[in-house]
Amino acid sequence: MRVTLFSWEYPPRMVGQLADYVKELATQLAKNHVETYVVTYHDYLSGEHDEPEGIRTYRVTNPVRTHIGVLTWVLTLNQEVERAAANIFYKANKNLDLIDVHDWHFIPAAVTLKKAFNLPFVYSVESLEEHRSHGANSPFNMAIKSIEWLGMYEAKRLIVKSEWMRDEISRIYRVPIEKINVVSPKTANWIRNVLTIYRNVSGGRNS
Amino acid sequence: MVRELAVMMLTWEFPPRIIGGISPHVYYLSKSLAKNGVKVYVVTCDFPGAPQHEVLDGVEIFRVDSYKNSSPDFATWVYLMNVNMQKEAAAIVNSLKGEIDVFHAHDWLVANAGIGLKHVFRKPLFVTMHSTEIGRRNGIHFDYERMIHETEAWLTYEAWKAICCSHYMVSHVNWAFGLPQDKLVMIPNGVNSEVYANLENEDLRSFRSKFALPEEKIVLFVGRLVYEKGVHVLVNAAPKVLEKANAKFVIVGNGYMKEQLSNLVKGMGLAHKVLFAGFVDDEVLRRLQKCADVSVVPSFFEPFGIVALEAMAAKSPVVVSDTGGLSEIVEHDVTGVKAYPNNPDSLAWGITKVLLDEAYANWIRANAYRKIQEKYDWNKIAQQTENVYKAVLNEYSKSFWA
Repeated sequence: MRVTLFSWEYPPRMVGQLADYVKELATQLAKNHVETYVVTYHDYLSGEHDEPEGIRTYRVTNPVRTHIGVLTWVLTLNQEVERAAANIFYKANKNLDLIDVHDWHFIPAAVTLKKAFNLPFVYSVESLEEHRSHGANSPFNMAIKSIEWLGMYEAKRLIVKSEWMRDEISRIYRVPIEKINVVSPKTANWIRNVLTIYRNVSGGRNS
Repeated sequence: MVRELAVMMLTWEFPPRIIGGISPHVYYLSKSLAKNGVKVYVVTCDFPGAPQHEVLDGVEIFRVDSYKNSSPDFATWVYLMNVNMQKEAAAIVNSLKGEIDVFHAHDWLVANAGIGLKHVFRKPLFVTMHSTEIGRRNGIHFDYERMIHETEAWLTYEAWKAICCSHYMVSHVNWAFGLPQDKLVMIPNGVNSEVYANLENEDLRSFRSKFALPEEKIVLFVGRLVYEKGVHVLVNAAPKVLEKANAKFVIVGNGYMKEQLSNLVKGMGLAHKVLFAGFVDDEVLRRLQKCADVSVVPSFFEPFGIVALEAMAAKSPVVVSDTGGLSEIVEHDVTGVKAYPNNPDSLAWGITKVLLDEAYANWIRANAYRKIQEKYDWNKIAQQTENVYKAVLNEYSKSFWA
């Protein structure tokens, strides 16, 4: 199986807890014989890199340096994420099984790649704009929510870490509960559950 | 090539959605390319009443959701709209089994979509730079402007060739983004003179009487009422023209300077001589251009100056400021009159000369019309564009993407 993870934070760039989680996920996937790629952002450590755990990272930087907000920054950065993912796709002779997108930032790139190549993606929801912004509904917050919604609509599956998050997604975005998998990283069969979901999503494309 | 050349145009405006000059440009370019046997797909923003998918004049048009949630600001809306445009365009190319040879983006407004599609489908990207932020704002002063400026730079960097509609614009884009000369191509903008020829036999007297008295000459301005268009210079030239000739100044268009201009006119005591007609539809506009005794383009910044070309096609003599693309379109004393930019005296002199010397007016009118047929014909422009596509596809065929 060949999987690409998208995350806007990844060691050495740590913003919150997502960086460590994605690193651990990538490490475990590699250990379980999954060819694992990570596309992430770094301001200056850009380029391709092989990590000792058997992970291949693509760090991209923003081609537009001046921004007026997080949204414009994220939306131009997406193009570089998309470019890196397209490079991975072509280098693998188009045999990529899926993309796993962590949080909303790189949803637009995942959606374009899905439409272009029929390449499915999983949306792993770490947190929601509704909670981060305490229910604020300014155009800025609504735009982020619309990207989260797009991700939930276009993703083949959603992975969350708790039943509470599953119920919140279902309550706020009206996503059918059957589309959301609760997989807690604290349980012993965590990675086995993730792999089962991946296999179902890819439909055994290159297993 | 077994099948016909296929191009996908990306534009934020396409008829019936008309905001500025890009809409008619892409319309005529696409239509003329299609006439020459190129398969053209246009992906553009949706518009109330216009179908999501249609074939018009041989061009296949897709109108996509332009992101209708309110956005924090215009630029953020542009980037969000690009998410939708890119996603839909990717699905269209996928449904065509990837059979698109080139992507052609028009201005930074579709930068993200163009750049994304290039890398996803690994096909050459073209951009036509219709304008620049640094030109529109006469410099870069705020982060908002710098962000757009950098997006334009990124787009020209990613494009295989950047097309500009005038030599002035080629030099401007070369300077603004440090873009190498060999990436720049000059292909002029075109004008459709048929729409004016069709009005040749129409009696326009009653139409004309809605705007001016029979004894008044019509001095026409068409454009957005914004600083860079220099309308205030025309207003300041009006008293000097009126000393010598009886004229009505008809100002067509809207913009943030409208109230300021109207106050200026009132303060000068010329409210009866200057008519603000607002935004008018194509039918009215063409008839006005046909009736105009002189058409004035007093811009400070003008990448091309399509409105001068339209006036020439309507056989209305033109007086333009000697700047940007206008300098190339008009040859002084031959196809029009050039005035010093931002100089009401010079502008008034030009207008008065055309209004008072009928033989001179007829001479530039005839020369201008001939020039239009020679150089600014859409079929010739489409042919030049196709040649650029083919030259690049030849280079591309030797690359590892092919």
